[in-house]
Amino acid sequence: MFEQQLINGLTLGSIYAIVALGYTLVFGVLEILNMAHGEIFMFGAFIGLLMVVQFGAPIPIAILAAVLVTAVMGFLLERFALRPLRGKKGVSHLAPLISTIGVSIFLENLAHHLFGAETQPFPVSFARISFEIGGVKIYLVQLTIFLIAVALMIGLSLWLQKTKAGKGLRATAESIETANLLGVNTQRIITLTVIIASAMGGIAGVLVGMAFNAVSPQMGLAIGLKGLAIIILGGMGNIKGAMVGGLILGLTEVMSVAYGDSGYRDAIAFLMIIVILLVRPQGLFGSPATQVKR
Amino acid sequence: MLELKSIQKSFGGLVALKEVSFTVQKGEVFGLIGPNGAGKTTLFNVITSMFPPTQGQIQFLGEMIHGKKPHKITRLGIARTFQNIRLFGHMTALENVMVGEHCRSHAGVFSSVLRTNKQKEEERSIREKAARLLELVDLKGMEEVFADNLAYGQQRRLEIARALASNPQLLLLDEPAAGMNEKETEDLYHLIKKIQQQGITVILIEHDMSLVMRVCDRLAVLNFGEKIAEGRPEEIQNHPAVIEAYLGKEEEE
Amino acid sequence: MIDFILNPYYIQIASFILINIVLGISIYITLSTGQLSLGSAGFMSIGAYTSALVTMKLGMPIFAGIISGAIVAALAGILVGIPTLRLQGVYLAVATLGFGEVVRVLFNNMEITRGAMGLPGIPHFGRVLAQSLADMGLTADMLGLRNNQWSALLLFIVLLVIVILVIWFFVRQNHSRIGRAYTAIKEDEQAAESMGIPTTYYKVLAFSQGAMIAGFAGALYAHTTSFINPGDFSYHRAVEILIFAVFGGSEVIWGPIFGAAFLTALPEVLRDLADYRLIIYGLLLVAMMAFRPQGLIDYNVINWLKRKFKKQNKHDSVSNGSDGNGSSKQKGGTL
Repeated sequence: MFEQQLINGLTLGSIYAIVALGYTLVFGVLEILNMAHGEIFMFGAFIGLLMVVQFGAPIPIAILAAVLVTAVMGFLLERFALRPLRGKKGVSHLAPLISTIGVSIFLENLAHHLFGAETQPFPVSFARISFEIGGVKIYLVQLTIFLIAVALMIGLSLWLQKTKAGKGLRATAESIETANLLGVNTQRIITLTVIIASAMGGIAGVLVGMAFNAVSPQMGLAIGLKGLAIIILGGMGNIKGAMVGGLILGLTEVMSVAYGDSGYRDAIAFLMIIVILLVRPQGLFGSPATQVKR
Repeated sequence: MLELKSIQKSFGGLVALKEVSFTVQKGEVFGLIGPNGAGKTTLFNVITSMFPPTQGQIQFLGEMIHGKKPHKITRLGIARTFQNIRLFGHMTALENVMVGEHCRSHAGVFSSVLRTNKQKEEERSIREKAARLLELVDLKGMEEVFADNLAYGQQRRLEIARALASNPQLLLLDEPAAGMNEKETEDLYHLIKKIQQQGITVILIEHDMSLVMRVCDRLAVLNFGEKIAEGRPEEIQNHPAVIEAYLGKEEEE
Repeated sequence: MIDFILNPYYIQIASFILINIVLGISIYITLSTGQLSLGSAGFMSIGAYTSALVTMKLGMPIFAGIISGAIVAALAGILVGIPTLRLQGVYLAVATLGFGEVVRVLFNNMEITRGAMGLPGIPHFGRVLAQSLADMGLTADMLGLRNNQWSALLLFIVLLVIVILVIWFFVRQNHSRIGRAYTAIKEDEQAAESMGIPTTYYKVLAFSQGAMIAGFAGALYAHTTSFINPGDFSYHRAVEILIFAVFGGSEVIWGPIFGAAFLTALPEVLRDLADYRLIIYGLLLVAMMAFRPQGLIDYNVINWLKRKFKKQNKHDSVSNGSDGNGSSKQKGGTL
């Protein structure tokens, strides 16, 4: 059933792509790996779950709530874990990395205390609805996830290309100093970037919760690691790389489970990292110059 | 001793060096001048392989060196200083110079930990040589001071001592007089002459024209990544292209 | 009194402090070239499982198991290090994080490690030692100790000797050509390369030394607890090890040693905090980066201690006292 696996892989891959986009946006602008992104994503999933289970909210409302909460978290992350380190003399490139690791461990254990350590199911009212096209069974959930993900990617691309803020973001990503000279308020752009990345993580959280029918405090690390693998595959800070890389990882994982050993499915992302580092360290879409940049 | 053959270097679409060729003779002090952004430091970075040339060849003592790793080039006998001082700030002055001797020493992990006689002997000679070099650049008494805490002029001289520690045959000095007062510049002149007397060839990037004209045997002038003149100081001073491109602009600085 | 001090529980905590000191040193070694590894837990688990299996399945003596654990971890370190260390630091962080997770997945799925159920019955270092001493005629009764006191004490003594040896090794290495190369790379990698230091070689060396020491600590851990399971070596363990260095300090070897000792002992003293340990750790990391990125113990603290100690000495013995240069060493903070 190759076509069936293709559909599953595309669904999974589109979610991975959104997670990876969160990492790559922040890295592109700040050259920082936001290690807390996975945990913000996990909070998004829990908020969505809370809305659906506690308040019986429909999915769009759940997503909206997740977006709001994770956007605030993104703001707080930038304000308290990243901004104090920026431009300070003598702070190495490891400092923001370690700082966001701190946030990640804080959030994960906070989730333990708030939501409990167990994995919880994510009930979706239309979970069983499916239809068949040419012998391929497509669940409505899958289609919803895929469409939301694609809409998000298109929306982000348009926003980056067409709007003033988007252009400012791209200029800041090129060079913070130059963008400053051009009159871009880089401080605001940086905050905005982290907020948008986090909000996208929030959406991805709800989508993953729906897709796997499972939400747990540990999902941040598991999915976050894949996001990291994808941006290495696609090229750090590269938007297109994150999208294509996400799809590649999703498809590879689904195919390897279908035609290989499922126990090692989570090892694929890592093997991918090693192979890409050996063969093409700048990633599929990265330019070799980023290697020289320190 | 050093021969550059049509060196080309571009970053993305930007051409930083265009068909630059020249030869440096053994024992001379060779000046490299030109307006800011002319590509002088880029040329140093290409010679020391911090980034490889896009095109062209570099020959040093009869060996092709372009594309080799930077530390191998240092081993072969080319050492440098940096325009924007790059000392190891949290190491003492003495340790900075000792790091410079790295490629001329051998002790590995086990002999270092076991402190074999050979290692102790080597460590002592590294230390003595480093102390001598600090004396040469007039930093005696500053051995135990962190590089970060030295005065600006002292840091510049420490960079020279650190570079000399690798026993170079060719020394690349990138604006060593920048930020120095008259007295310090005069001392620097004598230091460069002393280095030359020891048989070390020097390439000097410098904006202080009186120093350049006095200390250099020959000069090359770069402008917008191109070599526009080469010759003895008095020839350069009267070279029309140089006057137009470079000396005319100097008053603006 | 002696019974209170020789309470096996206290001795065991002291033993864990020693093992965590070794782990703290392992991450310090890697950090001393300016590289951050998040794979310490992975290397630790490789050392632990290797040593456990070598002693249990091959019937080798414990010390052979521990050494093979350290060696296998070092080899894994070289394997991960070579492709990643040529690149920017963040690549290493991601690659090692991924590596740690994959090792855990591996041990979770393998039959010989009994997967998630864990591996019980690993020979206990202290008990084995006590047995050998008893064979030679020295028993716990002869010293007026209970058997479990005696074996816990033996283990502690062996670990203490090992820790002292490890510290001795790296203090000496730091004061050598190798240590200078490490520091130079941490300070300015490109400048170090330009000064003739093969930076990739030394980064791989430091990284695999860190991996080896982590594996070594893992092996010691296995023979201290007698039971290991993949959950012992999760990402949280790696972060915990990182905190030893970030909190204690990563500039001088005494930093992670202090950090490991303090942070291991603290939850034992403040029982109520134990539940919120990781939450506090997370906040601690953020706060340290913002306010004191070099950690509590840095060059200045060490120099201050040295000066103080020297003065004391001068005061006691009327020596000629020429420590002219001590005061000029100062520095600001970097990690």
